[in-house]
Amino acid sequence: MTSALLGNLALSAALLACAVGIVGVVAAARLRSTAGMRAARWSLPVVWLCLTVACLALAGGLLDSDFSISYIARYTERALPAGYKLAALWAGQEGSLLLWAWLTAGAAGLWAVSSWRSNELHHAVAGGVLLLIGAFFAVLLLYVPTASPFTTLPEAPADGQGLNPLLQDPAMIAHPPMLFMGYACFALPLAILLGALAAGRGDELCGEPVRRWMLAAWLFLTVGILLGAWWAYIELGWGGYWAWDPVENASLLPWLTSTAAVHSIGVQQQRGMLKRLNAVLICGSFALCILATFITRSGIVQSVHSFGRSTVGTFFLVFLLLAIAGSGAVLVWRRKLLRSEAPLETVWGREGMFLASGALLMLMTCVVAAGTLLPAIAAIFPPAGALLPAITDAAAAGGSGQGAVGPPFYNSVVLPMGLAVLGLMAIGPILQYGAGAAAALKKRLAVPLGGGVLAIIALMVAGFGNLWALACALVAGLSLTATVWDFARSVTQRARTGGGGAVGAALRVIDSNHRRYGGQLVHLGMLMFMAGVAGSSLYGRKHEVSLEQGRSADVGQWTVKLETLREKRHANYTAVEAVLTFTDRAGRQMRLSPERRFYEKSGQVTSEVALRSTLVADTYVLLAGAAADGRAVGFHIFVNPLVLWLWLGGLTMTLGGIVCLLPPVLRSTADSEGISGGRTGGAQADPAEQRVSA
Amino acid sequence: MTSVHRKFLIAGGVLLAAVAYLAYAGMRKGWVYYVPVDQFVADARLHGQRVRLMGRVSGDNLQVDGGAMTAQFDLLGPARKVRVKYRGVIPDLFKAGADVVVEGRLRDGVFEADVLMTKCASKYDDSHGRREMPG
Repeated sequence: MTSALLGNLALSAALLACAVGIVGVVAAARLRSTAGMRAARWSLPVVWLCLTVACLALAGGLLDSDFSISYIARYTERALPAGYKLAALWAGQEGSLLLWAWLTAGAAGLWAVSSWRSNELHHAVAGGVLLLIGAFFAVLLLYVPTASPFTTLPEAPADGQGLNPLLQDPAMIAHPPMLFMGYACFALPLAILLGALAAGRGDELCGEPVRRWMLAAWLFLTVGILLGAWWAYIELGWGGYWAWDPVENASLLPWLTSTAAVHSIGVQQQRGMLKRLNAVLICGSFALCILATFITRSGIVQSVHSFGRSTVGTFFLVFLLLAIAGSGAVLVWRRKLLRSEAPLETVWGREGMFLASGALLMLMTCVVAAGTLLPAIAAIFPPAGALLPAITDAAAAGGSGQGAVGPPFYNSVVLPMGLAVLGLMAIGPILQYGAGAAAALKKRLAVPLGGGVLAIIALMVAGFGNLWALACALVAGLSLTATVWDFARSVTQRARTGGGGAVGAALRVIDSNHRRYGGQLVHLGMLMFMAGVAGSSLYGRKHEVSLEQGRSADVGQWTVKLETLREKRHANYTAVEAVLTFTDRAGRQMRLSPERRFYEKSGQVTSEVALRSTLVADTYVLLAGAAADGRAVGFHIFVNPLVLWLWLGGLTMTLGGIVCLLPPVLRSTADSEGISGGRTGGAQADPAEQRVSA
Repeated sequence: MTSVHRKFLIAGGVLLAAVAYLAYAGMRKGWVYYVPVDQFVADARLHGQRVRLMGRVSGDNLQVDGGAMTAQFDLLGPARKVRVKYRGVIPDLFKAGADVVVEGRLRDGVFEADVLMTKCASKYDDSHGRREMPG
């Protein structure tokens, strides 16, 4: 059997399994059929198995260079290393959709096997939602030619067209699967929420599964976005990591809403509040994943990436509208279940601050979405386009032509809002629930505020007076002091009551509440990330220099000398390498060798950046080009302060997210006392809060 | 309405107003028109402002100096053309016949650009056979 036939058979089987499962859900809901319930439950792992076979069929074809399959002929070649052949599974549209479908089915199957309790109607309805999503993908992959990975060619070419050299990079290989993993996880909270609402189970709206899947989605999305930024930084050679391009914005949208959701879900679990906000965030995050796919694949937005106008976009638009209409209808229908169980007693407590940060994050989402979609809205809806000249400097254009907002828009709107969210994050550890929160905050704010003021003074003494930098310092100082102070108090209390050394007590404190301390680790990562963004965007410098071999020039704090220029031949490309020596005023030297590569097969030229990273700054050198006579060579030298902190912050955030998801490791009687029964069984008592209320 | 609700409404109103103002100011600074070459040449109102031009690089009169990092070329529309002078990193995919986007403004009859982007087919493109670009 050929790979194409096997793949299409597997996809057909997946569609069939979805249909059987959906019939089962209907039977379970209407007739209380236990057989229907079983069919619905087990169809989910079966769909996953079928899609696994389809993925294996495509992977096998890719490794075998089966160029009778159009997709494989377009994205690989015989000379490609096996690892990249396999990675070509998600290099193109069809393969990446298959991967997304497979990951969604995997998450759904895992949930059905691990969490589904028999004869629970809300689980059956949730399964039905997941099966509908699965059926959408199966239909797309089977019947839409531009989305079908197993379309065959009448005649197989002798060799394929190869993989874009820009994609031949480890970060780029890992970036798409991480994003899709995040997108896949978003389907679960949506399904569970809609299932609980439809079945009238107000107690199951935001249980542990919802929180954990949302957290997992957030974690994968974070890793995926950071890998994309890292790839752009080291591979594209423009010295930056984020350009506010529609593609990047598209993946940021669900990240913003899921960041809000992982926080406010906790408030619902512990206090029975913010239910409507959570419902909107959960449905919205899923819809935004679909919107992101629509933006990147429909060609609706002018981007540097110049997306083709793919018909697949239309299907995602229809899917998006159906998802919004369907979940919106359920939310309105069951609005009584979404009523808050307790009144909001104070603005200055956790519930108030989570509401505020949720509102801010949603506003950021709206701003980024509006900026990204504005050109399309103006084109489709002329009155909006006619308004534009009235509010922009570009009035003289008279509304002609398409346009877009560039990075200045996002930087001046989104970054201040982001800093405000980080400000709320900073006081997080000292907040508590309930009516007494305002008094407690007043009492506990002094020490962290002192930390923030100290950080400002330290920065000013060091000679940095930029207002944004000082605001970041205030947030960082406040946040660090609040976190460390809070943690230290918990540890000393634990050491006093539980005995043992400080390290043991610290470990037990962390282990007793992964959610709290994993979250604080994420916040620490956010602070490092903020430092990286602030350092590189406020204090980054760019130099352009043209050098001949053996000559040197003064660039910033260095004397830069072009030692040699040499050609190196590799298997599938030829590289020109420039060896530069940087000597600073103290006489310290470093050597950096940027390259330009010429790929024979594609005729494409790529730049290989030379990078020296330290905790203080990155030195980032690009071989920009050579004069026609080949003697003068142009270089771009970027000095990007604190960029390493971006990636370290990303690692810390990832680690924190993992800590949040892990179950407690240490077992001791003292710890089990610390966990009291929460509202939904998942909530954990907070030692810090107990102390304050005591 | 309780006093807490009132506080939240006031805070929300202030927040919305602040964001609306930021967005308005950001739009004024950040909005750039995308204009095809022909329309740009024909519409004198566009000549004084910063725009993004889309067109194809002509093979004639193409001067690229990678050492000095400048490029001068004719940007072609279907009927008309405009002379572009660009300074900065020459993208890897820049060559005669490439579809490019330049951003800048017209000065003394020459379009002075500080942004030059080559367009390449996305990896999620229907037109089979073109090279993909990550995105």
